[in-house]
Amino acid sequence: MKPKTIYIAIIIMMVLVLSSCNSRNTVRPGGAGKVSVYTSFYIMYDFAGKIAGDKAEIINMVPSGAEPHDWEPTPKDIAGLYHADLFIYNGCGMEGWADKVIESLNSPDLAVVETSRNIKARKAAEHEHNHNHDHAGDRYHDHDHGHLEENNLHSCGKDGYDPHVWLDPQNAKIQMEAIKDGLIQVDPTNRKYYEDNFEFYARKLDDLDRAYKKSVQEFTRREIVVSHEAFGYLCDAYGLVQIAIEGISGESEPTPAKMAQIIKFVKENDVKVIFFEELASPKVAETIARETGAVTDKLNPLEGLSEEDLKAGKDYFSVMEENLEALKRALGRVD
Amino acid sequence: MLEILRFEFMQNAFIVGILIAVIIPLIGVIVVLRRLSPIGDALSHVSLAGVAAGLAVGFNPILGALVFAVTAALSIERIRKSIPEYAEMSTVIITSLGVGLAAVFSGYVRNANFNSFLFGSLVAITPFELYLVIGLSVVVVAVLFFMYKALFYMAFDEESATLAGIPVKFVGTVFTIITAVAISISARVVGALVVSSIMVLPVAVAMQVAKSFRQVTVLSVLFSVFFVVTGLFVSYYFDLKPGGAIVITGVITLAATFLLKKAK
Repeated sequence: MKPKTIYIAIIIMMVLVLSSCNSRNTVRPGGAGKVSVYTSFYIMYDFAGKIAGDKAEIINMVPSGAEPHDWEPTPKDIAGLYHADLFIYNGCGMEGWADKVIESLNSPDLAVVETSRNIKARKAAEHEHNHNHDHAGDRYHDHDHGHLEENNLHSCGKDGYDPHVWLDPQNAKIQMEAIKDGLIQVDPTNRKYYEDNFEFYARKLDDLDRAYKKSVQEFTRREIVVSHEAFGYLCDAYGLVQIAIEGISGESEPTPAKMAQIIKFVKENDVKVIFFEELASPKVAETIARETGAVTDKLNPLEGLSEEDLKAGKDYFSVMEENLEALKRALGRVD
Repeated sequence: MLEILRFEFMQNAFIVGILIAVIIPLIGVIVVLRRLSPIGDALSHVSLAGVAAGLAVGFNPILGALVFAVTAALSIERIRKSIPEYAEMSTVIITSLGVGLAAVFSGYVRNANFNSFLFGSLVAITPFELYLVIGLSVVVVAVLFFMYKALFYMAFDEESATLAGIPVKFVGTVFTIITAVAISISARVVGALVVSSIMVLPVAVAMQVAKSFRQVTVLSVLFSVFFVVTGLFVSYYFDLKPGGAIVITGVITLAATFLLKKAK
């Protein structure tokens, strides 16, 4: 190739990269007069949609398949948020970027709902600070929430709390209630509508809770081996124990000692299933399964949904039911 | 047998770790002589961009990494020739391009926790990766065996190498492509940190003690195998991340060599 051709090819490539249109945000169809709501990531989007129904236009910021822990908003997202009525996020350290964005935005008309505010947070079993430097994450977004968390007074307090509160249906109810209150605050005329929706889903959450409680009674074992420490609230609610390969953030490389420890545990306790997450690389779970003769299965922490699942109409309830089936296969009686 | 070796995942970690510890410093010696030592870091980052592009657009991420790395390596050569007095600039430019592209493409990755796919780990090697690294090592060792003399000659004095009848352009291009392929596959399998450190650290240590360039080559392979094996043992018994343990072993060894040299 002649040098000229290389340079021209590079220039064309770069221009294409920069100009490829940015249409990541999921937008629920809406029109004039509707409440404009921004949600941080998938599960907040799902909950908000359930309560707001067709009364709001909801824009989800972190794309459904992306990782909410270390996503970064684009200037366009910030501009949209500035003009929105309501911003709904999980909090508790889930969206490191959220506090910073809210603080810098200083939009007088924007109401903010941190849905985990009234939930008693559980401490992370092992505080993982994501110090592994072999992953690119470090380069794009350093520990940028450090100083902010010192002066905010969330019930979660400082770093080191488990943000995956929604995996306990009773917590999900509290989150939906916070969303309902937020919607009523910005749109009092539809108060009745939001309250009815909340009542409907609160009942569904109670049903889900009962289904879990009933199944758990038939389990012959209690321990689940999961790829990252996301299932603490689920385990606390139903008397299970999670053995996590990786910490809360779920992206660090496991140490060989940890791997050996889990392999021994799996062998000694005859664990049948190693759970992995659909959106993350299953390599570590597969390595352990190969070594121990266990099988791998999916357990979804609902941090996001793949596009196919979204299209198939899956939501919090259907995925939580799939999770329950997976737990039954792993922990139930062997026939 | 030692407890650490009873686990299949540790056996794979040792096999893959040692193979990569042999081929990367072999390339590293030439790379250091060409004043391009940051190329390991540069190409690993470009590979990431390739992985991200693969995940975003929907083609095989390893293929994406390979194509991006080879293109980038050839671009480094081209930039290096355009500004020969400041060769190191070329790698810095390509590193930043890699980081930038990875950041842009990662915005388009759907259905995946992007970071978890980016880097490999010595403790989670798939059978496919094991065979891939074995194949890669055979190819790299074979190619370098035939070209090593020419490459050394060129690294010191390209002009007289040309006069001596060495096909400089051909050898240079083949070496560039081999470097790109080796770095991008290794970065995928064991992580960029391990690759960029064992490309340079063992060579630096070997240069302190060796008396000839043949010795530098042999010693840097031995040192790098020592770093990887020690790093794996240390990480296993002290519950540390293997990548970090390998690098720290290397740095401690280098510092110790400096001290010993001074004491003499």
